[in-house]
Amino acid sequence: MAPSSSSGLTFKLHPLVILNISDHFTRVKTQLNPPSSSCSTRNIPTSIHAASPQNVRVYGCVIGAQRGRTVEIFNSFELVFDPNTDSIDRSFLEKKQELYQKVFPGFYVLGWYSTGSDAVEYDMLIHKALMDINESPVYVLLNPAINHSQKDLPVTIYESEFHVIDGIPQPIFVNASYTIETVEAERISVDHVAHLKPSDGGSAATQLAAHLTGIHSAIKMLNSRIRVLFQYLVAMQKGDIPCDNSLMRQAASLLRSLPAAHSEKFNDNFLMEYNDKLLMSYLAMITNCTSNMNEVVDKFRTAYKKNSRTGPTGSRFPFI
Amino acid sequence: MTSTMEGVIKSIQGLSSTSGDLSSLHRLLKGAEETLRSESDLQISTLDQLDASKHSLGYLYLLDALTCGPMSKEQAFDVVVLIARFIDSCDAEQIRLASDKFVSLCKRFKEKVLELRDSLRGVAPLLTAVRKVQVSTKRLTALHPDCLQLCLQAKCYKAGFSILSDDILEVDQPRDFYLYCYYGGMICIGQKKFQKALELLYNVVTAPMHSVNAIALEAYKKYILVTLIYSGHFSISLPKCASTPAQRSFKTWCIPYTEVGNCFNEGKIRELEAVVVANSSDFEKDNNLGLVKQAVSSLYKRNILRLTQKYLTLSLQDIANMVQLANAKEAEMHVLQMIQDGQIHALINQKDGMVRFLEDPEQYKTSEMIEVMDSVIQRTIKLSKNLIAMDESLSCDPLYLGKVGRERQRYDFGDDFDTVPQKFSM
Repeated sequence: MAPSSSSGLTFKLHPLVILNISDHFTRVKTQLNPPSSSCSTRNIPTSIHAASPQNVRVYGCVIGAQRGRTVEIFNSFELVFDPNTDSIDRSFLEKKQELYQKVFPGFYVLGWYSTGSDAVEYDMLIHKALMDINESPVYVLLNPAINHSQKDLPVTIYESEFHVIDGIPQPIFVNASYTIETVEAERISVDHVAHLKPSDGGSAATQLAAHLTGIHSAIKMLNSRIRVLFQYLVAMQKGDIPCDNSLMRQAASLLRSLPAAHSEKFNDNFLMEYNDKLLMSYLAMITNCTSNMNEVVDKFRTAYKKNSRTGPTGSRFPFI
Repeated sequence: MTSTMEGVIKSIQGLSSTSGDLSSLHRLLKGAEETLRSESDLQISTLDQLDASKHSLGYLYLLDALTCGPMSKEQAFDVVVLIARFIDSCDAEQIRLASDKFVSLCKRFKEKVLELRDSLRGVAPLLTAVRKVQVSTKRLTALHPDCLQLCLQAKCYKAGFSILSDDILEVDQPRDFYLYCYYGGMICIGQKKFQKALELLYNVVTAPMHSVNAIALEAYKKYILVTLIYSGHFSISLPKCASTPAQRSFKTWCIPYTEVGNCFNEGKIRELEAVVVANSSDFEKDNNLGLVKQAVSSLYKRNILRLTQKYLTLSLQDIANMVQLANAKEAEMHVLQMIQDGQIHALINQKDGMVRFLEDPEQYKTSEMIEVMDSVIQRTIKLSKNLIAMDESLSCDPLYLGKVGRERQRYDFGDDFDTVPQKFSM
């Protein structure tokens, strides 16, 4: 529906905004549909528009700074949406804007956000309403549907442009490309939220487990991507897909940049390290097995002891 | 009379398709068993009306009725061929409905085969029978020891060995287990896989038993000999986990073997040979003479192995003297054999007759090692899974929960904790 934007502006989005939007959405969704089904029948207010939780839309405002042709979206806050008039509560917006201006003097209202799978009709009305604060606001749309096969972020940024439709110039939404920009502090906090590390830093065991899980998922993703590429190339070789020379050139350059160390010493060292790691995991497995065996034997002894001893546990007579 | 026969055959042919029909057929056949047995015109030719793979259950009952009485040699031969064909073509699902009938039929088959002194004929059918009757590869059936016995008689050890490669985790009858491990140990000895033989015999020797039983005794005798061959030393006491009746009485019944073991420990060839000759009648009676001779020859190996730990280089003549071999040539042959088997690592310098003992050259950095490690780790993971499953099933065992609950009463946690109920009343 939305062709690409031609305004020439570059958009930079900070992850804090994405986190805020998703947090807002999750909170509202959970408040409407509490987990236990017994109290939900009593508490759902009947004036809520959307019936299913996926149709709930949240609205808010994005703020940031514009320097020249670069629009950088730093932060966001929530807005109150009036379902009866289908518009944003104006006074609330202005109040919040004043407060944020005091704390972040350099940031201005750049636009607004909402959730959903695609832009709808009355979004344009809200967009027009915001045009008096910012003459060309941006519309950030987050798609809350979880799609495991999708690799990119479900966030789209729309701008409004006037196009001539049926002889009347009308504003429509056009897609704008953006990049993600982070500050060091943001990266740490986003990482923290994404991995939900224990608050006290955890013991060495949990940290190791978290580290290994991270590596495991990274390797899994690498493996699946290589597999996709491989299947594509095989299909091209078989002739199912027309040959794409530029893609093949890119794949060839990727392969050539792999480590070229094929010397004897490298193989030796590599195999030795591999074997060392295998030996360590073998040792870990054996220890695991031994502790399991210990549990089984203890339980068996408690269950099938012939004479019941009234003393404390830890008796050491042989079996039978 | 023929009418009941025809009726039975018709019902077999009609009711052999779905599982509901099969269970009703089963009940019918169970009821008609007595009449079938006394049926006089039940012949082998009546079985031609049925198809073994589709009507396996009915065929099984009829076969059972045919073979339960005594029969002549020619009849036995025909029956053996018939049963072999049946086992090959029968349907595993239908068989499992009447598994004890099938097992008794196969046992009768085995006896007939042994009578005809043609064990080779029975090996393949029994192998298929074992696979068909087994509900899962972890369960021991009553047919396992019979199959192994036939393999031993027919001397086809490889076939028997293929059954032994499954890990057995569940056992119905202890006697089956003892026999299985004993025969399995013998098959492994035949294949010269002494480590596996040792494991199996160890299982029999340390199996829980209330009174000494003959199978375990024979197994213990072989166990002593195999430990001598494999690990090279003998300990007079049984492992700690063996049952008390075993620990008390085994030694009194195996005196010649313990003598051999003690002599082996001291390491003198001449004395060992003397002991063997003195007790050779006992060994003959137990059919263990071959094994004893192998143990004697392994004493040389053990002595040479001891030398590698003491000396760095040694001349062949010295080796011959220390190990009490006849001359340097024999010593060279022994050392060569051991190097080929991988038991020692050494270099023989033929010019001046010196042997240099080396360290184990395994550096653990080859890709073959990776495969070995990988398979070993996979086995450990499987074992761990089995142990966890066992742990869970034990935690739900009412015996265990009852005892744990009784102990918890001792701790005074106030009213917060309920004690585990002693009996679960539904």
